[in-house]
Amino acid sequence: MSDNETASSTRRDRDLTNAQDMIVCEGVSKWFGDFQALNGVSATIKEQEVVVVLGPSGSGKSTWIRCINRLEQHQEGRIVVDGVELSNDLRNIEKVRSEVGMVFQMFNLFPHLTVRDNISLAPIWVRKKPRTEAEEQATALLERVGIPEQADKFPGQLSGGQQQRVAIARALAMEPKVMLFDEPTSALDPEMIKEVLDVMKELALSGMTMMVVTHEMGFAKEVADKIMFMEGGQIVEMGTPEHFFTNPTEERTKLFLSQIL
Amino acid sequence: MQSHAEEKSSTLKAVSQRVPLWRDVVVIKWVTQIGLLAVVVASLWFLAGQAGDNLRARNINTGFDFLERPPDIQLSEGIDTSPATGGRALWVGMVNTLRMAVVGIIFATVLGVVVGLARLSNNWLIKRLAGLWIETLRNVPLLVQMIFYFAVLTALPRVSLESGPINGWLHVSNKGISMPRIFISDGFYQWITVVAVGCLAAFFIRKQRIKKHDLTGENTHAVYWAFFTVCTFALIGLFIHPVFGFVGGIFSALATLFENIPTTLIKVLLSSILIFFAARWIRNFFASRRSATGHLSLIDDDIFRMIFVGAGALIAIIVVVAWTGISSWILNSGRDLFHMLEAKFEVDGAARPFDAMKPDIVKPGKFANYGTNGLTMGPGFAAVFFGVVFYTSAFVAEIIRGGILAVPKGQIEAANAVGLSRGQSLRHIVLPQAIRIILPPMGNQYLNLTKNTSLAIAVGYSDIVQVGQTVYNQTGKSLPVMAIWMLFYLTCSLTISVIVNFYNVRMKIVER
Amino acid sequence: MTNFKDSTSTDQLNSDPAEAESSSRELPPKIAALSPSEWLKANLFSSTFNSILTVISVAAILLILRGLLSFIFNPLRQWSATATNMRLLMTQAYPENQYVRIWVSLGFLLFLAGVSLAFWRAGRRVQIAQVGKQLLAIGAFILLTTLLAPFSNKATIIWLLIGVFIIGVGMFLKPADEQKTVSSLTLLSGAFLLAILSLWVIPYGHHSYISTRTPKILAEPGTVAMTTKLPWTIMLGVAISSYFLACIFRDKIDEAKSKAVLSAAWLISPLFLLFLVLRDPDFDTGHLFSTDIPIFVFFSVVGSVLLLWLTKPEIGEKGRIISTAILFIGFGTFAISMLMIVRILTLCLAFFALAAPTFSGQKPARIRYAKVWIATMVILCWLITAINTPSTAKVPGDFFIGGFAITLMIFFFTMVLAFPLGVLLALARTSKFPIFRIISTTFIEFIRGVPLITILIFFSVMVPLFLPEGMDLTEIAAVTIAFIIFEAAYLAENVRGGLQSVTRGQHEAAEAVGMTNAQKTFFIVLPQALRVAIPPMVGQIIATFKETGLLAIIGIFDFLYIARSVIPGQTEYMGSTRENLLFVSLVYLVICFSMSKASQRVEKRVGLGER
Ligand SMILES: Nc1ncnc2c1ncn2[C@@H]1O[C@H](COP(=O)(O)OP(=O)(O)OP(=O)(O)O)[C@@H](O)[C@H]1O
Ligand SMILES: [Mg+2]
Repeated sequence: MSDNETASSTRRDRDLTNAQDMIVCEGVSKWFGDFQALNGVSATIKEQEVVVVLGPSGSGKSTWIRCINRLEQHQEGRIVVDGVELSNDLRNIEKVRSEVGMVFQMFNLFPHLTVRDNISLAPIWVRKKPRTEAEEQATALLERVGIPEQADKFPGQLSGGQQQRVAIARALAMEPKVMLFDEPTSALDPEMIKEVLDVMKELALSGMTMMVVTHEMGFAKEVADKIMFMEGGQIVEMGTPEHFFTNPTEERTKLFLSQIL
Repeated sequence: MQSHAEEKSSTLKAVSQRVPLWRDVVVIKWVTQIGLLAVVVASLWFLAGQAGDNLRARNINTGFDFLERPPDIQLSEGIDTSPATGGRALWVGMVNTLRMAVVGIIFATVLGVVVGLARLSNNWLIKRLAGLWIETLRNVPLLVQMIFYFAVLTALPRVSLESGPINGWLHVSNKGISMPRIFISDGFYQWITVVAVGCLAAFFIRKQRIKKHDLTGENTHAVYWAFFTVCTFALIGLFIHPVFGFVGGIFSALATLFENIPTTLIKVLLSSILIFFAARWIRNFFASRRSATGHLSLIDDDIFRMIFVGAGALIAIIVVVAWTGISSWILNSGRDLFHMLEAKFEVDGAARPFDAMKPDIVKPGKFANYGTNGLTMGPGFAAVFFGVVFYTSAFVAEIIRGGILAVPKGQIEAANAVGLSRGQSLRHIVLPQAIRIILPPMGNQYLNLTKNTSLAIAVGYSDIVQVGQTVYNQTGKSLPVMAIWMLFYLTCSLTISVIVNFYNVRMKIVER
Repeated sequence: MTNFKDSTSTDQLNSDPAEAESSSRELPPKIAALSPSEWLKANLFSSTFNSILTVISVAAILLILRGLLSFIFNPLRQWSATATNMRLLMTQAYPENQYVRIWVSLGFLLFLAGVSLAFWRAGRRVQIAQVGKQLLAIGAFILLTTLLAPFSNKATIIWLLIGVFIIGVGMFLKPADEQKTVSSLTLLSGAFLLAILSLWVIPYGHHSYISTRTPKILAEPGTVAMTTKLPWTIMLGVAISSYFLACIFRDKIDEAKSKAVLSAAWLISPLFLLFLVLRDPDFDTGHLFSTDIPIFVFFSVVGSVLLLWLTKPEIGEKGRIISTAILFIGFGTFAISMLMIVRILTLCLAFFALAAPTFSGQKPARIRYAKVWIATMVILCWLITAINTPSTAKVPGDFFIGGFAITLMIFFFTMVLAFPLGVLLALARTSKFPIFRIISTTFIEFIRGVPLITILIFFSVMVPLFLPEGMDLTEIAAVTIAFIIFEAAYLAENVRGGLQSVTRGQHEAAEAVGMTNAQKTFFIVLPQALRVAIPPMVGQIIATFKETGLLAIIGIFDFLYIARSVIPGQTEYMGSTRENLLFVSLVYLVICFSMSKASQRVEKRVGLGER
């Protein structure tokens, strides 16, 4: 526990003002038919920054995070990831996809492949690595997320927490510059949540740029560099955890915090 | 803060704006599709061109004129065994196919349900027998079965004048099976009008009874009441049906009306209907794509769809306006229909609705055969009939069994727990759920059965395929005949799937 | 208790009756506890209604059995028609002096079967006591029918003795320990052994084809055994010894790799046997060296170089543009006159080039891709050459083989080619591209809306009309194409069901790790979809096999046609249609029934593996 505290404090001390922009969103809007899910979202996420996105259900958190990975297509505004604009350009889409890792709420592991193959499939076929190298990397990643002994099992044979850690390892295997997490712990039992959060903390420490949608306030307080609060498809408030949890400016944020805490 | 914003915009600017065409996903998407469409159209064009050249080289004409020419065909059975024109011959074939399909569907369903329930029986022997029935019949190809039944039937003893019908009721020989025939005669249409009135009355009575049941809670037997009403009307109708002779006059007036409508009116009517539907579709379409604030967002697929509907409607309107044949066909067939109905009602009061006759045997030439009195299944008909009915019954039985077993045991236990009797739980709990599972595969089986009747060609039953083959062998018009086949079967399939889908949708709504 | 639960669950899950049958046969502990009278009461006379049903059905069974037996054993029946014409039924009039080719083909297939059985560890353990019980039932059935049948005294005694013997064996085996089991393969080969032994003892009939005589078919009773008993014995020997050989070797070599080789052998060997062994093409060496081999060498060399280059990871969209260009050239070749083989190979190269980015990678992967290309070239060029070369196996009719063999051949080609076409159609029907969806849906619904026979007639009558000048297609080929198109539409619907069962999350996960659409489809979507689609697809395969009978309607000499029209035309066997048809039914029944049983077993095994 104390270990974690020191870790987070070292993190917060770090100076990010001179870091490069990693994700830039400018006036991003998105409609589902009549319904406007994103309404001019603008935000910048710097390299090595950990951003936690909070907000009530249906506020557009998932939609936004999925736009950054082109799982959804935004209709207005611009999204630039590591200097590459997400547009109709095929090459850009491929590039962004292979630089942005994503972890889903429902894990979405490939049920017909072993854990090892789940992790090494994309490096082999997308990154064009030799098979042996990709499998060594898979073993190393499994060690990193703490389940090296499960390599030859199928996803269906693992617990939820183990599956989510495999999903993280799968995303990491592409050596992404950014990791997106969409409620990675909300499908898990309480005792499994900690093992996944620990992996995420370790990842944050190692300097990964991360964008996390979560309802784990402890994680947000401890690890986040910045917190964004969304409501009705807009970013209502943005700031450091200290600012956000102690004296939020917006009424809506206060209401949300009073309900959650 | 200022520098920060500047930096951001510079990052955005650094990103190139123009996307080269070959990397643009939208361009790739549509070029691929249009490319495939082009390949498909080009291949079809190429094949059609080849066929045209070849046909011309062989001096084969592909017109539909054979439909009006007298063919030299004798059909084994049907509404008209020596048709006057090629079209009439094909029509007889269609009627034969439909007749076989309808009769086959009814019998296969009944037999299949019986076998399926037997398969679930707690009697060991019955269960095994049903299993044997299913496994044997569904693993032997239908065609082999049909040919076998045909071989068995034609190997039966000869029909002869001496032997005579068995007790005058049922007769089985190498000419098929002959049974007494009940048929509708002149008074039928008047009688059925009485029954229709009865049905209307029954509907209201049932409603009344249900209302009473809802109010008082006593068992009012609404269904029995309705059934009883219909029966009463049917019975009374046997004596009073001539009162409805006047209906003929109404039809005659309608026919005259149709004779006097100009074709232009029909054209205008049809076009306006088409325009109306297309316009409504497009309006609804826009409405569904428009947000509450009036923001319209169309994706590339939507534009494609609109072009498709618009072009379709336009082509349909042009066809309707340019081709007078369609309008006059509608008018003529309307007039003919009402004339026909008029004739059905113009009979004297003494005519009976039904008549019955025993089978008879005649000897027109050298060999004896069944006369027209009895209801005769020729060996061809019988072979196809037994073939499709037995074969399909095996599949239907499996569907029924699967559907009933798929209802969870807990449902029956729950029904028992709330005190429903065995019959009540079957009627109100098990069957409604089982039917939902059973219906879609049943529809599939009905489709299969209809298509399977085409194997009749192997045993010489005059269905559409067999008649068509004879026609094109004589006239050489293979292409038109095949087009007629395909159109006919597609229409049948479409009709059946529309009916089944209708029931599926209804069932689902009832469920919720 | 567990046993009881088991049986109900199989009853509910499996839509198959005989499965439930076998599982209720596995109920002995429960049933054995009941005395026979109790069992009867519980299962046959539990209520008045049930008793009436039982009595009626027993009476019906006895009547039907009696009628059937008097039909079968009527002296007028000509069962020898089937036995005598066995060769005609199986291979039509394949030349007598070349018959060894057929045995070689069969032997090779049996060899493959033996090896595959060993490698896939087929066969399950059957309790000996269970076998004993079945034998008892069979023996009792034989005794019953013998007593009912109108046999001569001698025959009655022989059959009674056989029945008693079987019952004796059953009695001997029944009390065996529950632990004692025997492999179902052993039982199967035992049954075959008995059948083959009977060849050495019983003189079945035989026919031979004499072209100078009318009728051309000469039937001489009693010689089938002479010509087939030795080959069949060898065949059994081949199958059994290949099984044991493979058992020895399977632990010493890489199992996954050898399974892949075996699967490939199953796909390729029928082609090879058909076109090289059975058809024996009369290759024209001049043409071979002047045209075929140069074309082959050109395409393999140029193609490999091109593909080696296109599979470089950094090639980018340059590769796509080049492969699209090749595709256009491929289609363009149809506009100008040239050798058909060049057109086909160009198109083939275009598809390989289009797929190249999917399989690109480091050197070993690229070299593997080039090797696959060369292997494809070898097979394609050889096949095209072999098909275009006249056959030395001259037989009456327009095709070198007929009877049951042609049924199997068309079935094989249909399955092998309809499967990929069906998958493509299904992918197109579920694609995001509206024009793809419309084309595919129209095609599928059209084909599914009309009966197979109309499509077959259309192809057999109309195909010559659609072909360009100078190209012709035998009726068999045209009909096979009709079958392929028809089955592909149905398989596409099965596959579509599987595709729809793959969740959106799977698609998104694959996209999120940066896979292209092709990679997503090949590595993630199809493997899952096909697994779900296996049961309905097996059903469709069985249906296809049954539909091969339709060949008879369009006048192809398949074995239904021979049984119905050819054999009853022989002067010796007038009016033997029913007997022959019963034989045909039996063949179909046995094959279809065992296919569906086997598929259920495999399905269960796959289902267990998933958990
Ligand atoms: N594919 C879709 N089609 C139509 N509407 C959608 C679709 N996906 C999301 N929406 C709508 O967009 C809005 C934003 O959804 P989103 O999933 O982003 O919310 P969220 O903030 O992630 O909520 P939660 O915390 O419940 O996950 C919701 O109102 C949802 O109904
Ligand atoms: Mg969400």
